[in-house]
Amino acid sequence: MLERIGARRVLLIAALAVAVFVGTVAATNLASSSVYYLTPTEAKDRGVNPGQAVRLGGQVKQGSLECCFMYAGDGVRFVMTDGVNDVLVIANGTIPGLLREGAGAVVEGTFIADGTFRATQVIAKHDEVYTAPKAGATPAHRTAP
Amino acid sequence: MTETTIPRGNTLPRIRPWLGIAAAASFVVASVMALFWAPTDAVQGDVYRILYVHVPLAWLAYLAFVIVFLASVGWLWTKRPFFDAVAVASAEIGVLFTGLFLVAGSIWAKPTWGVWWTWEPRLVTTAIMFVMYVGYLLLRGLSTDFSRRATRAAAFGIIAVIDVPIVHLSVLWANSLHQLPTVLRAAGSPALDSSMLLTLMVSLFAYTLIYTYFMTSRVSLERARQGRLWTRI
Repeated sequence: MLERIGARRVLLIAALAVAVFVGTVAATNLASSSVYYLTPTEAKDRGVNPGQAVRLGGQVKQGSLECCFMYAGDGVRFVMTDGVNDVLVIANGTIPGLLREGAGAVVEGTFIADGTFRATQVIAKHDEVYTAPKAGATPAHRTAP
Repeated sequence: MTETTIPRGNTLPRIRPWLGIAAAASFVVASVMALFWAPTDAVQGDVYRILYVHVPLAWLAYLAFVIVFLASVGWLWTKRPFFDAVAVASAEIGVLFTGLFLVAGSIWAKPTWGVWWTWEPRLVTTAIMFVMYVGYLLLRGLSTDFSRRATRAAAFGIIAVIDVPIVHLSVLWANSLHQLPTVLRAAGSPALDSSMLLTLMVSLFAYTLIYTYFMTSRVSLERARQGRLWTRI
């Protein structure tokens, strides 16, 4: 009886060790193989073809965000950068209120032949810092893009 | 001994109503602080206040699944039915909290990110966690043999916990969308104002009491189903 319990506990510890090992390997592989978006440089290196659906991520370049230039009046145009390569992004539809220059963004869509990115969906990234607005400053969410 | 007398040594039924009252009261205090007392955020405005629901629920869900893991080890190690009762109680509450923090996160994502859902690492790993523990509860329904059911569930409860650290660390992967941890940061102090941090801690306290209250109730129910008293291991 004692021997059987001992064997069961050894088995339990072995199973735990295997589970932790498998989990670690799975997590590491998942982290390196699954990519949510490509940076402009990665998109260039991989040679993403025009018309191929892709997610592109980076920073909205300072001074590049223009709004409401389309006929419908709801489009935006900005340069997305990863610090090395830039991509001109044209988007219409719903633009998140947090999209602003210097902040991160992810766009879903396709490259067109001239290298411009036509976004069907714009996703704004925000950071993990929370702070009360300073006196006299306009909160970012109230400024028009 | 009359029927209504609580056996000696079993103090939990006596304190449980008070635990419920404390949980409800602290939830009201936390909600008032989160909605009115904490300052608005400079970038996101008032919508960031969902953080005071989303973050504590997520942490408690992590805790719930770690307790499922510990109770599962306890069952396999000792074969004491108490541990199986703790495991099923914690798994049910964990699934509830995960579902709620996914909904709260989705409501937060729409006005800030611009989408209800996207296949981003944190979201994908959380969805996997939710589905795994729903699976855990379904697995428990497969067998009516107590010992067999508890052992199978324990094996699952041990393996499934691997996703908890993966969910937490998924925001550190390259090219993700979800913001990094604000409080449990690798370097430096929490990246939020002290009044915001205090509100978050009061919320965390409230949700911890809610979790504890749910746990005591659910474990008692499970122990009654097992035909045993709460305190007898």
